[in-house]
Amino acid sequence: MFVFVAGLIDKSPYLDPGSGSFLLQLLIAGIAGLGVFIGAQWGKIKALLTGKKVTKEDEDDETKDE
Amino acid sequence: MSKPDRLGASFRDPSGFLFTRDGRLYRQVNHLYAAEYDRLMTSGLYDRLVKAGMLIPHREVDLPPAEPDLAYKVIQPESVRFISYPYEWSFDQLKDAALTTLTLQRRALKAGMSLKDASAYNIQFFEGRPVLIDTLSFETYREGLPWVAYRQFCQHFLAPLALMTHRDVRLGQLLRIYIDGVPLDLASRLLPWRTRFNLGLFTHIHVHAAVQARFADRPIERPKAQAGMSRQAMLGLLNSLETTVRGLKWKPAQTEWGRYYEMTNYSDAAFEHKKRLVAEWAGKLEPKLVWDLGANTGVFSRQAAGAGAYVVAFDIDPLAVAQNYRQVKEAGEKNILPLMLDLTNPSPSLGWDNRERDSLAERGPADLVLALALVHHLAISNNVPLPQLADFFAGIGRWLIIEFVPKSDSQVQKLLRSREDIFPHYTREGFEQSFGRRFKIHAAVQICESERMLYLMERL
Repeated sequence: MFVFVAGLIDKSPYLDPGSGSFLLQLLIAGIAGLGVFIGAQWGKIKALLTGKKVTKEDEDDETKDE
Repeated sequence: MSKPDRLGASFRDPSGFLFTRDGRLYRQVNHLYAAEYDRLMTSGLYDRLVKAGMLIPHREVDLPPAEPDLAYKVIQPESVRFISYPYEWSFDQLKDAALTTLTLQRRALKAGMSLKDASAYNIQFFEGRPVLIDTLSFETYREGLPWVAYRQFCQHFLAPLALMTHRDVRLGQLLRIYIDGVPLDLASRLLPWRTRFNLGLFTHIHVHAAVQARFADRPIERPKAQAGMSRQAMLGLLNSLETTVRGLKWKPAQTEWGRYYEMTNYSDAAFEHKKRLVAEWAGKLEPKLVWDLGANTGVFSRQAAGAGAYVVAFDIDPLAVAQNYRQVKEAGEKNILPLMLDLTNPSPSLGWDNRERDSLAERGPADLVLALALVHHLAISNNVPLPQLADFFAGIGRWLIIEFVPKSDSQVQKLLRSREDIFPHYTREGFEQSFGRRFKIHAAVQICESERMLYLMERL
């Protein structure tokens, strides 16, 4: 069964996101998401091993953004 | 109250638009965008971004809108002293603007919103730092949807930065030709083959370009099972873009850094004398906006900035601009904006109807223009006759501090070494006569230990 990516957009954006650009994101979504997931898990494991608690700041990376 | 005047660049997004009235800039928020605007303001996102210096502050004003039928609110953004464009930025300025855009998107996601565009033109340098000036760029984030602005981010930021890093820093000028960023197929063709081994560039430029070409004008079919892009995947995409951008570094030859003022031909005393004169005259004039043309790394710009002016420091040399920007960042200077500009071919009016991006002259006039050690480059290297030079300067500013470098000066001799001297009028008398037609000369001082003259002039 197939769907159109364009059908995902219930409200049209004013920019044309580009079919290819949308598709590419979906293709790399899995890999990229997995990276973030592993990163988060690794952080938790590290925290468990070192006994250091994961702080609120670590979770939301506003400090990293600065 | 005068009639509102809608800005030429503000037409793409139906969420609202910019207009001026009585010389002040306002933004109309349309009903269409009401829910999104309220969300931005009430979610705390606006406050956090403004506090972090990443979004232009604004206030809601009780003024008649420019188009009342569409209007939800009118807001007045804080004014940006000088609007600059990505093709005038140094590598690091474009890179900082890119990183700011990604951080904005990450913070927006946390508040349940997302950037609906990632245009480099939405970023301006405000108090020395890149900020988002388009308050209407946020929309409610809907999990499952890819990032609408991904393509634009790659075209406006990633492609030019990659080209500047891996091919030639001058390729940043492609942004001047392509108003919506560098087409990815072009970037992919121009980038060296080795960039395919950089995972980020391989994915976001090369594969991106290939996928675009493959699916151009075609709706894409894909298995429903894979539908959607989770929030985690979106964060992963942003991380990947950020890592790729951070990995791009323009490395000019180290030896060239910091040697600008060592390469001059005049003494320390002459240099100090010139600095003193600029500071003294700028101090007397108290200009609000100064354009320092041929500013180099900004030594004299800082003299004018010290007098309280906002100084736009233009130079043709990417290295000088980069170094100047580095100083601005390190010292946290808020009133100096280093920009790249080729005066022999200054930024033109660009875009739709030639009204989207203003030319240099349209962004003036400046209260004071500095033209130090510049005239010989324009008059001799670029063959501009002195009367035309005077016309140019009279068109862009009221006051002018200008240095005349005579033919006997070794810098001018260097310019004449490889060509015939076809400049019989390039003399101090010829200079004063030409500029005297357009300016009143208030002061003319010979710089000590040199043959150079420094003039203070006012447009007639």
